[in-house]
Amino acid sequence: MKQNSQSRSPGARRPLRVAIVGCGKIADGHVDEIRKMPEQAQVVAVCDREGLMAEQLATRFAVPAHYDDFAHMLEQERPDVVHVTTPPQSHAALALQALAAGCHVYVEKPFALDGAQAAQIVAAAESQRRKITVGYSSLFDPPILRLREMVAEGLLGEPLHVESFYGYNLDGPFGKALLADPGHWVHGLPGKLFHNIIDHMLNKIVDFVPDDVPQVTALASALRPERSGDERDTMMDELRVLVRGQRVTGYGTFSSHIRPAAQFVRVYGTRNIAHVDLLARTVTLESSPKLPSAIGRLVPPFEQASALVGQGLSNLGRFLRSDFQYFAGLRHLMSLFFDSIVNDGPAPISHRDILRISWMMDEIFRQVRAQSPAAEGIA
Amino acid sequence: MTALVTGATGFLGGAVVARLLAHGTEPIRCLVRASSRAARLERLAESHAELSLVHGSLASPEAALAAIGDADLVYHLAAGTGGAAADLFLNTVVASKNLLEGLLRRPQPPKVVLVSSFGVYGTAGLARGALVDEDTALEAHPERRDLYSQAKLRQEKLFREYRDRHGFPLTVVRPGVIYGPGGTPISSRVGLNLAGLFLHLGGRNLLPLTYVDNCAEALVVAGARGGTDGQVYNVVDDDLPTCADYLRRYQREVRALRAIRLPYPVSQALSWLCERYYEHSQGQLPAFFTPYRTAASWGGNRFSNAKLKSLGWQPIVSTDEGLRRTFAALAS
Repeated sequence: MKQNSQSRSPGARRPLRVAIVGCGKIADGHVDEIRKMPEQAQVVAVCDREGLMAEQLATRFAVPAHYDDFAHMLEQERPDVVHVTTPPQSHAALALQALAAGCHVYVEKPFALDGAQAAQIVAAAESQRRKITVGYSSLFDPPILRLREMVAEGLLGEPLHVESFYGYNLDGPFGKALLADPGHWVHGLPGKLFHNIIDHMLNKIVDFVPDDVPQVTALASALRPERSGDERDTMMDELRVLVRGQRVTGYGTFSSHIRPAAQFVRVYGTRNIAHVDLLARTVTLESSPKLPSAIGRLVPPFEQASALVGQGLSNLGRFLRSDFQYFAGLRHLMSLFFDSIVNDGPAPISHRDILRISWMMDEIFRQVRAQSPAAEGIA
Repeated sequence: MTALVTGATGFLGGAVVARLLAHGTEPIRCLVRASSRAARLERLAESHAELSLVHGSLASPEAALAAIGDADLVYHLAAGTGGAAADLFLNTVVASKNLLEGLLRRPQPPKVVLVSSFGVYGTAGLARGALVDEDTALEAHPERRDLYSQAKLRQEKLFREYRDRHGFPLTVVRPGVIYGPGGTPISSRVGLNLAGLFLHLGGRNLLPLTYVDNCAEALVVAGARGGTDGQVYNVVDDDLPTCADYLRRYQREVRALRAIRLPYPVSQALSWLCERYYEHSQGQLPAFFTPYRTAASWGGNRFSNAKLKSLGWQPIVSTDEGLRRTFAALAS
């Protein structure tokens, strides 16, 4: 297949031609956000094995073309970039096909079914000299960007421990759908429910634990009282992960039952502790008392309240400037990815981090499988 | 004659099964998905041997074919009612495609009675007070309408495409607002609840109500009568109230609401502002209202059930009695 025009002339500044494969729920977010950056990219086609799904996405967002055959779309549209937004079972095959066709590839999370597939995609991207990234969009949400700035500025001192909490509500539409259907694709993933979600929990930890192969300990359980007598019963819904690197440790919590279903990160440094609330989008610092005795214990709540009020006002300012968007992280990640393609710079997420998270997920799922009801002979 | 009811566990589906039993249709197959609550149907099946529950789905043509079995008549009610766009299309349009692919594998495909919606009509372009009947043009700009209307439009189009290509018997029934005990308390055509404040948008517009049993009767009649192939029937009851009448009676018989009446020009002005803000803010808040959707939903029309009555259908519950039953159930 001939090379895409963007690849032939990397200095060109015409918008990148993006094609989307997989027209489920998250594809809406991709198309909608790309529409907001017309100078960087435009969606030229969407594809889904079920042609009606591709058609509905194209109709709603006025995408010029839609397909039900991926190879045909690649041949006809010759996109610069392909976004893979299908269920994870097809990520590797589609990403490899797109790379072979000379496209840069954005793969939604989870990147692949396992570390071996992830390594295959990374190797193909490197040999084809094409960019790849993975949909760790929450790493590019404004509060996490602020956290990174604080770390870089030395406000925390040396980070020694990180806590990442991800609450999930199985009563939502997606949870209900997968609990109702033993044939749902989530049940076919090596890590089942965890596999589809815990990247969001792990990528915050991996950001601070630099080791190639840290020690990982996973504890999982299923706290749902309902039993179906089939594949669904093997699905665990609570996970705790301890990550131990040479100097930095991490603790991850995935919970389907704790309420509120919060999402936060706490980074513990040698000077201060940072707390990032990913839902309320606040970043606050907890410091040692600066004053002695009872006065020292009296002041911190006022300092913390003041910090939260400041964050609230800052968020209000963002809202008034129309800069308080749900998909802010997705948009920022895509923008950085497109820049890396055009300028032939480093991709926003390193291959090393993609592979480290894939390895860590393999290790967690290996331990979880040994603890699952199926392993105990219930299923 | 064997009938299959998809969506049998739903609000209208349960009433259709009851009307089929009342008409002596047998046997009746009810498609029940694993996620559906089917206790009521299961109890009914215990006392009616002619009723059977078929556990399955419309997730593939094979699954659909298994559900269809030896049915001569399919009442297709199953559809998505909410959620993300992809889910709505999957459960409404893709499920319909699977049903169609499944039924075409039968040597002689069964007749299909498709439950569509008033949402498919292009009412935004109609003058206030214009009559909406079966000859009213369909929506020409689906992308400007709500997701439910978009999905129902595509579903109908899909059925027509398959019928034109394969020639199976098809009757389309388009109900207005289906109400009754267990249904939605107040239709969005009357207004919307906004954080405890009810925005009364319908005003003196006629509310195209059809009591759930009357609508179910219309489906059964459309399925049983000959000469309905390729036809469309709107379903509304007689003696339609205005939205204001409905709300007044709801307040009197169910509970008081903190309601504010928004005259149509005010709704249009707010919709314009809402759409402008959506564009300006690049979708920071969703475009709940747009002038086009407001015109389609609250423009105000008249309705006719003359074509349905020509089939011999008559409401079995008067609007007054239907409202009394509905509000009594809500009050209790």
